Amino acid sequence: MERAGHLPGLSADAVDWRTLTFRRGAETLDVAVPVLGEAQIAELAERVRANARTFLRNRTVAEIAATIDRAVARLLDRDDPWRRKAERLLPLVTGYDAEMVRLGLTGYLKTFRGPELRKFIAEDFANPAVLDDFQPMPKGGFARAFGPELLLHVWAGNVPGLPLWSLISGLLVKAGTVGKLPSAEPLFAGWFAQILAEIDPQLADCIAIVWWKGGDEAAERAWLGRADTVVAYGGNDALEAIRARVPITTGFLPYGHKISFGMVARSALDAGKAGAVARQAAYDVARYDQQGCYSPQTFFVERGGRVSPREFAGYLAHELDALGSKFPRRPLSMGEAGSVASWRNAEETKGFADPSRALLGDPAGSWAVAYTDAADGLSPCGLNRTVTVVAVDRLAEAVPGLAPYRAFLQTVGIAAAPEELFALAGALGAVGVTRLCALGRMTAPEAGWHHDGRFNLLDLVTMTEIEGSAERAADAFAPYTD
Amino acid sequence: MDFRDKTVLVTGASRGIGAAIAKAFAAEGAAVAVNYLQNGDAAEAVASACREAGGDAWAVQADVTDADAVQRMVERTAEEFGKIDVVVNNAFRPYAFDPEKRKLFWDTDWADYRGQVDGALLGTYNVCRAVLPVMRRRPGGSIVNMATDLVARPTVPYHDYTTAKAALVGFSRNLAAELGPLGIRVNCVAPGLVYPTDASRATKEDVKDAIVAQTPLRRIATPEDVTGPVLFLASGWSRFMTGQVLYVDGGLVMG
Repeated sequence: MERAGHLPGLSADAVDWRTLTFRRGAETLDVAVPVLGEAQIAELAERVRANARTFLRNRTVAEIAATIDRAVARLLDRDDPWRRKAERLLPLVTGYDAEMVRLGLTGYLKTFRGPELRKFIAEDFANPAVLDDFQPMPKGGFARAFGPELLLHVWAGNVPGLPLWSLISGLLVKAGTVGKLPSAEPLFAGWFAQILAEIDPQLADCIAIVWWKGGDEAAERAWLGRADTVVAYGGNDALEAIRARVPITTGFLPYGHKISFGMVARSALDAGKAGAVARQAAYDVARYDQQGCYSPQTFFVERGGRVSPREFAGYLAHELDALGSKFPRRPLSMGEAGSVASWRNAEETKGFADPSRALLGDPAGSWAVAYTDAADGLSPCGLNRTVTVVAVDRLAEAVPGLAPYRAFLQTVGIAAAPEELFALAGALGAVGVTRLCALGRMTAPEAGWHHDGRFNLLDLVTMTEIEGSAERAADAFAPYTD
Repeated sequence: MDFRDKTVLVTGASRGIGAAIAKAFAAEGAAVAVNYLQNGDAAEAVASACREAGGDAWAVQADVTDADAVQRMVERTAEEFGKIDVVVNNAFRPYAFDPEKRKLFWDTDWADYRGQVDGALLGTYNVCRAVLPVMRRRPGGSIVNMATDLVARPTVPYHDYTTAKAALVGFSRNLAAELGPLGIRVNCVAPGLVYPTDASRATKEDVKDAIVAQTPLRRIATPEDVTGPVLFLASGWSRFMTGQVLYVDGGLVMG
């Protein structure tokens, strides 16, 4: 039995626990998640808020970052007991291949080391000292950035460690933090809080990691009503429901489902480079079985290179097959298997009418690549390592067809020469794409990225300004006034 | 391939490639002697997996570098199963394949070479010597020795290990010439980097990625990839092949 969450000041005996059971093959893991009553919610919210006021407000952002850096270093140390536990239990809970989780954790956690955190802060604040004290402003006067006193995160999904992004963002703006665990991966966020507790108990007392069952309106309302700002992840329906319960005076930052894709220019399709490009593309598809918002679902591939789009689809298929041996796909739920099957069926049906289409990959296999010569736009795939390769004469021709998806577009993995990259970036940004990266890096955003094109830290703070007039007026009241 | 009524001795079969080979033979109906040095529990688990896979199996301890111990193991195996049709010399002295911490040539003592030669060659020599009288009783025996593709292409120069395996290839060819007239075949299987095994667990991603990039089939071998060629060389499908080396490395080495 593994106990999830982090409840500063609440004794475990005083809390009701519910068991979530995870199975992978013959192995089973029971995870106990806390179920809090309204009085406990009120008490915990007040305690976190008060602790943040006492312990966080007066620390420098550099001190907070140093503590986070030490906690992340523990998780990067493969001999550390927390790391060992994460490597052992996260594959069991999420179903992801153990090697994929191990490598994914290291790659991900690296982006939260001290120097990366400094980049992260500098990305949003030209002068990070504005988080610590009033700083002179170019227009005159002074300003200081304040994070919310109580920030509520509603996390979703099962990509290991994902809650860390917003959790750390909140701490960097000195927010008292309450995080709602995702039921699909209810461990990592609580572990991080517990590591912080070992390193810096006062900081950890400013964090509560809680759980409520999705749809538990009473618990949700109790938490939503107490937060100053709410950051929420999930599908649009879930976000809609949360928004309806957030008081109008509370800040609400939703991160909904997104769709991402890849683009391969003919300049990347010579006989020497095409293989490596296909390998990177396959890696983006296989990593976390396309469960991330940044995972590609379609590749637009330009005609006219030495390697044709159809041949590229063949390379991609073989690379997916090879990766399936290194990182086996996790067992699919009935629903997921159904999505894959219906996507396959749809592709096959289209193939009857259009012989240029091809569906590569065995129905019993763990991947599939659909290929089309037709001018198909972006289309959601069946997930879990299914992807469509769309041949186009020019990559720019694919852009107008993206417009209907504006609200959903996120990452584009791109292999193209510099001039093409910048020309496409302009067109893609205009239709709503917020991130362009190299193929092979789609699932690993760099430190300080602007998630969905927004400001991770800046969106959380309010600026308090001392206008020049106040400063000048104060002068008149000084004891030294002549 | 049908290995029913065949008896197979696999050395170093409690884990990694040896365990995969034992299970693959058992899945084709063979009776498998699962040799191990230290880890009796793991060997028992492999034997039990072999029985579940449809074959017969028993775990048998012997240090292959100890000629007397090998003699006893072969006698007990022959008593248990009545004969030995196939031997897979897979055991080797533990070796850490770590490109970053490997010994450079000028740090490699003769004792390092000797240790590996004992592990790869002496063990195989002992087993072949002991098993020959049993194999000669009936025609059609097959010996498969596990080498490495590093012999042909030292991607990382593990001097002592690879030199010992190169000696094993020479040993195998001579033995093939000697035993051919007796109807006993001797061949080698030479895998590339196999992951994961206890020996390769520390191999870093950049090394694996570099090998994958050079490998036509675009991945690293798994223990299960190695079993097919071993079974082929042990079977009648390869009855006119001897003294050969089959590379199992996704095409990294061709030849």
